[in-house]
Amino acid sequence: MLRDITIGQYYREESVIHRLDPRVKLAGTFIYIILLFIFDNIWGYALATLAFAVVVKASRIPLKFILKGLRPILFLLLLTVFFNMFFVTGTHVILQYGIIRITWEGLKSAAFMGIRLILLILGSSLMTYTTTPNHLTDGLEKGLNWMNKFKVPIHEIAMMMSIALRFIPILLEETDIIMKAQSARGVDFEHGRVWTRAKNMVPILVPLFISAFRRANDLARAMEARCYRGGEGRTKMKPLVYARRDRAAYLLVVVYIALLIAGDRTLAYFL
Amino acid sequence: MSIVLDKVSHIYDLGTANERFALKDISLQIKDGEFIGLIGHTGSGKSTLVQHLNGLLKANYGTVYYNGEDIYAKDYSMKKLRQKVGLVFQYPEHQLFETTVIKDVKFGPKNMGLPQLEVDMRAFEALKQVGIGDDLLDASPFELSGGQRRRVAIAGILAMQPEVLILDEPTAGLDPKGREEILEQIARLHKERNITIILVSHSMEDVAKYAQRLLVMNRGRVVLDGAPQDIFPHYEEIEKIGLAAPQITYVMQSLKEAGLPVDTSITDLEQAVENICRYTKNVN
Ligand SMILES: Nc1ncnc2c1ncn2[C@@H]1O[C@H](COP(=O)(O)OP(=O)(O)OP(=O)(O)O)[C@@H](O)[C@H]1O
Ligand SMILES: [Mg+2]
Repeated sequence: MLRDITIGQYYREESVIHRLDPRVKLAGTFIYIILLFIFDNIWGYALATLAFAVVVKASRIPLKFILKGLRPILFLLLLTVFFNMFFVTGTHVILQYGIIRITWEGLKSAAFMGIRLILLILGSSLMTYTTTPNHLTDGLEKGLNWMNKFKVPIHEIAMMMSIALRFIPILLEETDIIMKAQSARGVDFEHGRVWTRAKNMVPILVPLFISAFRRANDLARAMEARCYRGGEGRTKMKPLVYARRDRAAYLLVVVYIALLIAGDRTLAYFL
Repeated sequence: MSIVLDKVSHIYDLGTANERFALKDISLQIKDGEFIGLIGHTGSGKSTLVQHLNGLLKANYGTVYYNGEDIYAKDYSMKKLRQKVGLVFQYPEHQLFETTVIKDVKFGPKNMGLPQLEVDMRAFEALKQVGIGDDLLDASPFELSGGQRRRVAIAGILAMQPEVLILDEPTAGLDPKGREEILEQIARLHKERNITIILVSHSMEDVAKYAQRLLVMNRGRVVLDGAPQDIFPHYEEIEKIGLAAPQITYVMQSLKEAGLPVDTSITDLEQAVENICRYTKNVN
């Protein structure tokens, strides 16, 4: 049940996208998301969807698996679409029934909001599907290196992030086991009133927290035993180096931006 | 009265890249009052199998019958089933959560909706059965030793007074004395209450000593099923799937190959000594 959560998960596969330098993927995803907000017209969304489709194809991850990532936000998605559809005011009424009033503007805004949200989630989860947590933090650390000058402890932040990511699947698995164990002791998680269900969280959360602290403690000790003492003077076994495909990928990002701007201008010219 | 598995298969993460066959077409019957030892190397599907017996996992194919009733039937009460089939998980001490030992043990019977008095009595009795003294009743479970915590967790299931008791490696990580004590208590329960016991274990010695019937698992299948004294003489087969027979089996086998007509089906130390002495005396 909890294993359905796929956000932040890595999907093992051999593909160009998987082999790309994590800095490229981080920058690419970041730019992609920003542009989703800047170019919020039909051309912007069409190109964004196309770009997404191309990257998915290149990553060789089954579309079915990627779409599963939408399940946890389905409710949020429906809510957004719903609100936009009924509450955005406009002049071109399509349907009127009592106080319910659907306008062309509302429909358009709902569709755009929905698409934007979907691309936002899927785009960023595509990055984690194709990048191992270790790679991701390496990329973050090296890519944001310059922030050290401003006394931002980038290494520590990256390390914390990688540990947090590493712990997600472990804690999910643990929750699964604890839930089963308490079910074996007669707790019913599926039925009952809200209050009982909330109370049923205690037998899960207490052992979960205890085990999280125990694990954190063990990890800290293991790191200390191996002489970990922060990022200063630390070298990498496999330092990140840009390859030709990474430069090509950066070029594609630039082409993407150019296409967006060109299409946007053309559209503005004709409308 | 029995548990019947009819062609049960279980696949983890069906429909994803990590799809994994954990149980393959398992059919077996567990009769009332049996003491079963379930063995198999790491990842062979033991924990998966036992979780099917009280409905915590649902088979992808096949069905499980408890006392002749299909547990996957729409109106079958899983809650009732879980009271009758008690399952002690691997490392059960990680599931303790209450502020005191006694409260934690009462948690199960309380969920069954029993009257307060009955809950108290069962909790005290269960704690006595696992050898936790009165001085620890009001201690926090988190200040106990690992072995004591394990016992408290087992008591938590015993207090529900199940008809079938499944223990998933109850002795993992305990010292020899602690193991012996826990296993002795389980054996006593089996004798006194005549409840069905299923003991998952990695130790051949343990299951050989206590179990009346052995189920050997390999890659999601039950490959051997029979009494220990019938199974261990085939130790080559057991070795092929990465397990080993009890030490005594090897000793007896070597003696037999050396020409002494000992009984190779013996797995109990005392019986073995007696058996060997009988022949060595003849030699003298
Ligand atoms: N929750 C799960 N999700 C996915 N796969 C699982 C899960 N639990 C077990 N498996 C897989 O199913 C197979 C059987 O696992 P199971 O836990 O039943 O083995 P086991 O015999 O109990 O092993 P052990 O002796 O280590 O406890 C293993 O290959 C394991 O990787
Ligand atoms: Mg197991």
